[in-house]
Amino acid sequence: MASTHALLDVSGAEKTFGANRVLGGIDFSVARGEFVSLLGPSGCGKTTLLRIVAGLMAADRGSVRLDGAEITNVPTHKRNVGVVFQNYALFPHLTVAENVAFGLRVQKFAPEQIGKTVERFLDLVHLGEKASQPVRGLSGGQQQRVAVARALAVAPKLLLLDEPFSALDRKLREGMQIDLKRILREVGITTVLVTHDQEEALVMSDRIAVMNRGEIEQFAAPADVYLRPQSLFVLGFVGHAARIEGHVLTSQNGLVEVETPLGLLKAPGNFVSGSTVTVAVRPEYIRVNDASPEPDSNMIQATLTEIVFQGSKSHLHFIGNGDTPILVEASQLPRDLRPGATATLTWRFGDGLSFPPERSA
Amino acid sequence: MNASSSRVDPVALLAAPAILYMLVVFALPMSVLVIRSFSGSSGPTIEAYTSFLGDAFNWRVIGNTLRIAFFTSLVCLLIGYPTAVALARSKGAVQALLLVAIILPLSVGVVVKTFAWQIVLRRDGIVAAFLVATGVWDEPQLLLFTETGLVLGAANVFLPFMILPIYSVLKLINPNLQDAAATLGASPAQRFFRIALPLATPGLFSGTSIVFSLAASMYVIPSLLIGDRFQTLATLTGRAFLLMRDERLGSTTATVLLVLSILIVTVSAWAVRPKGGR
Ligand SMILES: Nc1ncnc2c1ncn2[C@@H]1O[C@H](COP(=O)(O)OP(=O)(O)OP(=O)(O)O)[C@@H](O)[C@H]1O
Ligand SMILES: [Mg+2]
Repeated sequence: MASTHALLDVSGAEKTFGANRVLGGIDFSVARGEFVSLLGPSGCGKTTLLRIVAGLMAADRGSVRLDGAEITNVPTHKRNVGVVFQNYALFPHLTVAENVAFGLRVQKFAPEQIGKTVERFLDLVHLGEKASQPVRGLSGGQQQRVAVARALAVAPKLLLLDEPFSALDRKLREGMQIDLKRILREVGITTVLVTHDQEEALVMSDRIAVMNRGEIEQFAAPADVYLRPQSLFVLGFVGHAARIEGHVLTSQNGLVEVETPLGLLKAPGNFVSGSTVTVAVRPEYIRVNDASPEPDSNMIQATLTEIVFQGSKSHLHFIGNGDTPILVEASQLPRDLRPGATATLTWRFGDGLSFPPERSA
Repeated sequence: MNASSSRVDPVALLAAPAILYMLVVFALPMSVLVIRSFSGSSGPTIEAYTSFLGDAFNWRVIGNTLRIAFFTSLVCLLIGYPTAVALARSKGAVQALLLVAIILPLSVGVVVKTFAWQIVLRRDGIVAAFLVATGVWDEPQLLLFTETGLVLGAANVFLPFMILPIYSVLKLINPNLQDAAATLGASPAQRFFRIALPLATPGLFSGTSIVFSLAASMYVIPSLLIGDRFQTLATLTGRAFLLMRDERLGSTTATVLLVLSILIVTVSAWAVRPKGGR
């Protein structure tokens, strides 16, 4: 989707290492001011795509455009693309302020301007009082903020973040995510975040590109990715869902009727009769022992195996015919239900999803 | 609290064997030498030094020693640094092979290697043949018994002592630093001078110190490659003890060499001390 106001436009990017096809012709574009996440499992090619955009690696085929200019063959130091590396890559022989000043110094800015800019960005990331300290003694979170300030100080056109939170512990991570989002909005910079953490992508992004084996499977707003996943892979990678495989009996009026080990199920979709289909449903749409189920609902029997209390909500793990695991999210702990009990689970046809089999490797 | 803070760190005790060993086999005999150089028939005297430094020949010997050590270190540095960079970037089998190629020559004795250089540096040796073939020389010349030949031979022997310390520092440097500098707008030259070189400095310094000290005190290599006409502090020390049986002269030259080496290594350590935060 090469739109005219795209700031970044990657088209047909291919990369192969030996026999390992890491990127299979990726098209990827980001609008000015947008915050986009590249979400995918380890080894799917996220870092490779990022390095191609930064010019740290050459694609075998395809082109990169930035701000309307073709930069496919422009070397990294002339691209003006900022990168925050996974391990931050701070210069160990320089102080915090010298790290932030590095880009301005090599680009021969005037000393007064360097001083002012460094101060401004250190204040932005709340590290003003650490300016003259060595970077060695900083905590992980502080190092990350130095890396962000260093990248932003040269006013790049685009900021790339490669798993910037993966070195931080969970508690710290959430606070840092919100903090970073605030900083980047304040600066108003277009950002691409690489992550394999779906929650992080959902929290931070305007749009999420879900990657699998060197391809982008879906590129959409977080709510779309969650509510309307376009493939079984996206469904499985973002959030939880019960999956029930079966064969199509009929398919009409946008509703497909599927024969499964749990009985006949209906879900939105169009398929050829007889084809293999997976019906899926998110945990929060399933009701347990609903006395007056809505019309047009699927209804199955399943056995409760475990209750996991999660504070504001509970996860009920059921198992249905054919050893099908079914996860239900309930806002309250069920009183009358003990593990081992059988229950009736219902959800509206319209709340389900249907997918063709996952593409093979 | 106070009692425990004044106690010796138990880990420091691990250095005890090395300290003891160096005391017995190095510091003790060295002190004997130093004391002897100050002893006269009627009590302590600096007469040995005044007469040694009063002789113009001895200043030439000191000059020879420092010049040969300097150029040997320089040649090792210029060849060793790029080699160490290549070694640090290589992976797997290639790296193992390179390491073997660098370390294995250490197992060939200095005498054997030096004799090999005698053959290489002859008038009809391969270096002369190469220089004539490439037109640098009009006719073959003798490299053996020249300072150039000595530096080439010594650099060959000491090269591993330059490469290995640099390599051990380089392999600890995060390879992403170069990439980070590039994304900040640093050209390849700026990346080299502002990142690669400063971070490699500790390795460059240890390598140079080791090679300089070895080259300043080498005895066998100059004896075989250049001969008696050319004296260094080390060969003069050897002559004083072995030929002239002049213990005081030998002790004096040995002490001068020791003081010079310590001085040069300390001053250069101070010159390249880390300046940024560390
Ligand atoms: N320089 C390289 N040489 C050979 N193979 C490489 C190289 N760089 C990456 N690969 C391979 O390419 C694939 C994708 O790597 P990449 O680093 O892009 O994955 P990623 O999505 O960033 O994964 P992670 O979440 O683990 O960082 C991996 O199988 C990796 O082994
Ligand atoms: Mg990666």
